[in-house]
Amino acid sequence: MAQKLESTSVAVVAEDVRRTYFLAEPVDAVDGISLSLADGSFTAVMGPSGSGKSTLLNLIGCLDTSDEGRIEVGGRAVAALSDAERARLRGTAIGFVFQTFDLLSRLTAAENVALPMVFHDSVRENRDQRARTLLERVGLGDRIEHRPSELSGGQRQRVAIARALANDPTLLLADEPTGNLDTETGAEIMDLLVDLNRQGTTILLVTHERTIAEYADHVVHLLDGRIESLEHLGDARDVAVATDDRSPIAEGGDDR
Amino acid sequence: MNLRESLRISWRSIRSHKLRSALTTLGVIIGVAAVITFMVLGTGFSQSIVGDIEADQEPVMTVHTQTVPEDGFGIMPVDTPIYTETDVEVLEQVEGVEFVAPDGSLDLVQTSTDDEQVTGVVDAHATTSDRFEHEPLVEGETFDAEDEAIVNERVSQLFEGNVSAGDELTLAFDDGESATVTVAGVAEAELGEQTPPRVFLPVDPYYTTTVETPDGTEERAYPTLHVRAGSLDDVEPAQESIVDYLENDSHAAELKQDDDEIEVQTVEDAIEQFMDLVDQLTVFIGAVAGIALVVGSIGIANIMIVSVTERIREIGIMKAVGATRRDVMQLFLVESVVLGVIGAAAGVALGLGVGYLGVTFLEWPMAYPLDWIAIAIAMGVGVGVVSGLYPAWRAARVDPIEALRHE
Ligand SMILES: Nc1ncnc2c1ncn2[C@@H]1O[C@H](COP(=O)(O)OP(=O)(O)O)[C@@H](O)[C@H]1O
Ligand SMILES: [Mg+2]
Repeated sequence: MAQKLESTSVAVVAEDVRRTYFLAEPVDAVDGISLSLADGSFTAVMGPSGSGKSTLLNLIGCLDTSDEGRIEVGGRAVAALSDAERARLRGTAIGFVFQTFDLLSRLTAAENVALPMVFHDSVRENRDQRARTLLERVGLGDRIEHRPSELSGGQRQRVAIARALANDPTLLLADEPTGNLDTETGAEIMDLLVDLNRQGTTILLVTHERTIAEYADHVVHLLDGRIESLEHLGDARDVAVATDDRSPIAEGGDDR
Repeated sequence: MNLRESLRISWRSIRSHKLRSALTTLGVIIGVAAVITFMVLGTGFSQSIVGDIEADQEPVMTVHTQTVPEDGFGIMPVDTPIYTETDVEVLEQVEGVEFVAPDGSLDLVQTSTDDEQVTGVVDAHATTSDRFEHEPLVEGETFDAEDEAIVNERVSQLFEGNVSAGDELTLAFDDGESATVTVAGVAEAELGEQTPPRVFLPVDPYYTTTVETPDGTEERAYPTLHVRAGSLDDVEPAQESIVDYLENDSHAAELKQDDDEIEVQTVEDAIEQFMDLVDQLTVFIGAVAGIALVVGSIGIANIMIVSVTERIREIGIMKAVGATRRDVMQLFLVESVVLGVIGAAAGVALGLGVGYLGVTFLEWPMAYPLDWIAIAIAMGVGVGVVSGLYPAWRAARVDPIEALRHE
């Protein structure tokens, strides 16, 4: 049903998405969230621990599947995709950056960066070349052959960002990327993300720190799996975030 | 993901856990090494024996009795004396037969020269001088008097003074009798080191075992006869006539137990029987190999399952960056196949090494059982696939969310 008005300008659409975990008792981790992210936008998701930030990010990143609702990434409805197709989408259209860096300890920085390309079957020489270029781009041109254990936290996160960019994704998902870093290093990582955003990558960032969220153009405040409020930090760029259908705030993504 | 990439990645993870990988493949290594060692030794052994026998194939046959033990396995020789003097005389008349030399064992207790004594060890056989007619004696000649004997090289070497033709031996028998004989000749030890030290004495007067024949007479009777045909071409027809007589008209046919069988064995038959034995052994080894490989697979599977659990976060990361279930499955499967093949290759190397030491020590020819080496490597791949399937399937099914939440 959701015909997109400006389909090319929307990177992510979520409509009334729900995800419930069943452990001792059901937990509605994401409890009816609707939003849309415009191409090239930089959005932060804030909220207290357990409010469903990571779950939302994982749903959009196709690591998890929603119980209800609809998610589109780059115009493709992810629910309709097979497991392998979703894996492919994760590898190509989406890049992940995690709080704990999550590099493979046995591999060198360059090999870690090249990993998504390995699963994407690109030629070895191209991979090596691109890994080198990306590491240079995140400022690690001189750490190409180092292993994660030989790198500082900030450097590791740079490798992770380079890895996320390997297959040239349109969407970068970062879950508390500065959570394990000191303020100064965190700021450097954020500068890098801002830089990437300026070059056109859509970014969705999860954080619980106000100072970090302020790097973004918009902030989505979550509480108990729902959107509590939206905040526009007033960058000049024309981006739009919509909540559920009761309070549409922008033109993108919601035509009902 | 293509196969070369998974090989590279799997090789990385195997190398980063060297000790564990080595322990994982230990079962396969030992299993394969055992099989290859057995095969090297077995082939070396049969080549040395068959080579010896074939090298100087003689037109000889052995007449003996054997039985298939009740609910037993294989065949057992029977040593009852059923071949009488009459039988021997009749067989000597068979067309193509040159001589029939009876063979009966004597219970020798002690063998002594002037200044040395050996208790046990040496066994004594009573036979006729024909037996040595064609046998190349190392020295001397066959006996032709009742106080003469032939010893084989092993006996000769047993004494420090090296017994040789012309020396005197005093033999003490189990029944208290003793005799002093002159060594007439020294015979070759047919199987080298494997030949027992043996003294040959004339049947007359030393062999005293008699039976009551079906004709009612009392006659000497023997458990074994050695028959020599005039030429190799005479062997087959002579064998037929001998079997025919022994089974139908001989004393032996009446004297033998119902379950016993009279066996007339040519050299060729002996080789064939020996090869049958080797084949049976091969089947047995095959079974041992099967068990070893099952144990080996369990070893690999076990470690792979542990490794899936341990590397769950790694699996989560790979899935997050775009690995499909198939990719993950392939990675783990390739890893276990590589482990299996490494195990098999190491097993082959170890087996050849141990086998080489063995045959060198035993002075047998070295053999390279290429078929078994190929089988071993193929089994390595098979073991890898079988033992990797379940762990790989589990790895493929890992939920990336769970995996990334895992500490
Ligand atoms: N895999 C899971 N299994 C069970 N419960 C989960 C799982 N993931 C998240 N939850 C629960 O869902 C809620 C939201 O979690 P999460 O999205 O991780 O929150 P946040 O990232 O905002 O801290 C929490 O109550 C958490 O306990
Ligand atoms: Mg979280």
